[in-house]
Amino acid sequence: MARADAPASAPALSGRQRLVARLLADGLVVAAILGWWAMAKSLPASVLPTPAAVAEQVWLLFTDSVYLGHTAASVLRVILSVALALFIGGLLALLPAALPWAHGIVHQRIKPFLNSFPSIGWAILAVIWFRVSDFTAIFVQVAILIPFCLINISEGLKELDREALEMARSFTRSRIKIFFKITIPLLLPYIVGALRIAYGVAWKIALVSELFGTGTGIGYLMGEAQQSAKPALLYACCFAIVLIFFAGEKLVLDPLSRRVRR
Amino acid sequence: MSAASTIAATTATARRADRADWFAAHAFTLLVIAAWAYAATQIPPIALSGPWTTVKALGAFLGDRNQLAHMVYSLMHVGIAIAISFFIGNALAFLAHYAPVTALMVHGRISPFLNAFSGIGWALLSLLWLGANHLTVIFSISMVLIPFALVNMKEGLATVDRELIEMGRSFGRAGFKRFTRIVVPSLYPFMFATLRIAFGVAWKVALTAELIGGGSGFGYLFDLARQDYRTPILFVVILLIILFVYCADRFGFEPIQRRLQRHYGTR
Repeated sequence: MARADAPASAPALSGRQRLVARLLADGLVVAAILGWWAMAKSLPASVLPTPAAVAEQVWLLFTDSVYLGHTAASVLRVILSVALALFIGGLLALLPAALPWAHGIVHQRIKPFLNSFPSIGWAILAVIWFRVSDFTAIFVQVAILIPFCLINISEGLKELDREALEMARSFTRSRIKIFFKITIPLLLPYIVGALRIAYGVAWKIALVSELFGTGTGIGYLMGEAQQSAKPALLYACCFAIVLIFFAGEKLVLDPLSRRVRR
Repeated sequence: MSAASTIAATTATARRADRADWFAAHAFTLLVIAAWAYAATQIPPIALSGPWTTVKALGAFLGDRNQLAHMVYSLMHVGIAIAISFFIGNALAFLAHYAPVTALMVHGRISPFLNAFSGIGWALLSLLWLGANHLTVIFSISMVLIPFALVNMKEGLATVDRELIEMGRSFGRAGFKRFTRIVVPSLYPFMFATLRIAFGVAWKVALTAELIGGGSGFGYLFDLARQDYRTPILFVVILLIILFVYCADRFGFEPIQRRLQRHYGTR
């Protein structure tokens, strides 16, 4: 199964074709910005603010102390939620390996239940249960992310090299030693895969938790921008998410993937 | 011990393990329902609707034509958005594959941008552009699903069996025939995987889009129930969505995908 965040592979092109490809790709970005600018001139700012107004708001999101607080709150929540989801999803995936009778509980009950539970359902129920708080936002994000981590790590366990495990068993009887020295290193590519998917879903879908569950964060700012008719801020929040998402991928996830592949 | 008795012993052990697994899964379900029922007696009904109250609310829901209409609207939003995103995502993937100069534009610009754009962002922006209506909901869901279709088809096109195409060429198949009789059938498993992923993700996004940008569907019902503190309706909608997604996956997508994988020899 392909992931929506799988890296793109470059086809083999001649020098001239490469130039055309680059012109088309960058030309599309320039054309999109010019088209946006032209449309913004003929549409009211409440519908489509100019690219300059949005760029200014994006800059504020990363420099103004109040906005930066919201941006930092979202980033910290995503990091914490992804870490917790990875831990809980990993434990659930490993449970059937330790207790074989728990396979049905994990894969036929917990996994389908969490996987099909609507994200907005978690958001609204969590606000009713825990009120508006940081805990609520993190709870919702973790609940949404767990099935993605569980599925990916379970796939990894299915693909584990049985011969490597068999050989490890012939060297030692210590299950803890085998777990940390063999199972975890073999699982690492799948753990990083789970991390990548959870990180993407956290920014794309799980941010809904901030729209209802808390008074801080980019999701909250988006709701505020919509209610108080500040379209430039709403657009800026969307682009800030794209920028943070790319930064996380390029600075953390890609190097981590390369290291694991080595 | 003979080979036959060893096989018989292994089969018996596997059967015992299956039985323990089956028993544990059902015991777990009963335990969860019992815990839910007990919690409902301890927590105010505004915070937790018990199993019996939810079942009664489900009966009332299914008997109410107005509420059933919202269920139909949600199904319509999800169905149309899947079709649109499937078409656009696949068209972009084919464009990048058959016109390689566009590959950087598609896979290096459009796909990463769509992939990084927030679902709530699409919902709020489309509300601004199109107002609160069906189009807003369908547009928001489609925009989230397009990168999934695009990346899945890209993977599919990259794995199309080159030898099969070569063989088609040697048997004199013309370009279009080669495409419809060899390439497209090889892509069926990937197309199906796209539909399966899209169905799961669509339900996660649909409710948010309907709650923010629509006056119809489960998400709209959810918003009304939230405002009026009608917790049983929240539980009914969640239960129905879990049933939809689970049943479609277990009894629809999974067996068909297994058959396709067997037929086309893919994973």
